[in-house]
Amino acid sequence: MTFEELAMPLFASLYNYARWLTGEPGEAEDLVQETYLKALRGFASFREGTNFRAWMFRILRNTFLTSRTGLRATAMQPIEDDDQFVAEGDPETIFLHHADAQLLRQAILDLPLEFREVLLLADVENMSYREISEAMSIPVGTVTSRLTRARAKVRRNLQEKR
Amino acid sequence: MSEHLSAQTIESYADGELAAGRVRETEEHLRECAMCAGKLVAQLQLKRSIREAAWTLPPKNILRPRRQWPAYAALAAAAVLAIVVLIPRPNNELADLHTTILASANPVDVISPDRHTVKPWFEGKLPFSFPIPEFNGTPFHLAGGRVVYVHEQPVAYLMVMKGAHRISLFVGRDVPAPRIDAFESIAWTKNGLRYVAIGDVARADLDGLRVCFRD
Repeated sequence: MTFEELAMPLFASLYNYARWLTGEPGEAEDLVQETYLKALRGFASFREGTNFRAWMFRILRNTFLTSRTGLRATAMQPIEDDDQFVAEGDPETIFLHHADAQLLRQAILDLPLEFREVLLLADVENMSYREISEAMSIPVGTVTSRLTRARAKVRRNLQEKR
Repeated sequence: MSEHLSAQTIESYADGELAAGRVRETEEHLRECAMCAGKLVAQLQLKRSIREAAWTLPPKNILRPRRQWPAYAALAAAAVLAIVVLIPRPNNELADLHTTILASANPVDVISPDRHTVKPWFEGKLPFSFPIPEFNGTPFHLAGGRVVYVHEQPVAYLMVMKGAHRISLFVGRDVPAPRIDAFESIAWTKNGLRYVAIGDVARADLDGLRVCFRD
């Protein structure tokens, strides 16, 4: 498969993800553009058989994390220990029949960056836990616990606001 | 009735990530227990709401250089732009069918997890035949099938489950490959027949399904 065949179907997804990382359309555009340029240059080093989508997302988030906005975002992160987390009870059965999309978007924005990332990769990109672990360079166990925690935070956030 | 499902089990199941060996007992419990089924529905709804709320389409002119780029970067950007322009217009026919069938109260006409029931059902309904693999021991299972029409030609439709996710598989002589953003899809050709799989699952899952049909 050529770079175009592999990379272009991911375009809308990468842009959407960049929007959530940067929070700003212009910066998201720059980020996606830079990602494609880097990927194009590095494509020779991409090994056939490894996960191309995870590879692209990894380039995008590494580019973001070393950008000025990214450094600022991570500097503000409270440090939360993934392994200390104990699942908090059952998911409250809240039904989101007509979930207010705006409230939900705000709840996602309120999440600390690494929780926002696992949630978006799992629920918007439908990535498997394995793919997320590759894209974010973290163990699968950490993906699972962050995901559980991200969803619990979103649920609590929504319940407080209704 | 077996013990209630843990929050973690429900979450893994909704994500299609439950270990293959636990899917059957989990589904058996879900059939009997309204409380756990309710929690699963809430989980799936949260996932869907997040997906819908968090999706933004890129602006059309996104790959036009917006700043002063070094010459090589502008060239590379132009190359990427050329690639974008060359993408054929999307064919959404199969994506529409996939969505319509999934939304239907009776998505399939033959409901069976058994390929020995589904395969004979197609006999006499299609001008071709194709093998249905054994899904035991794979992350997939068969939900059923029906006949659909694409470009006025009969096409076999199989619904294949991966955890809670439904995948549409179209098999026919002339099935157009879709190019869509909302779902994952792959297409392949075998013995002169075109196979197109669409679903809201990971690309790797669709590749896994293709492997099932290879032998």
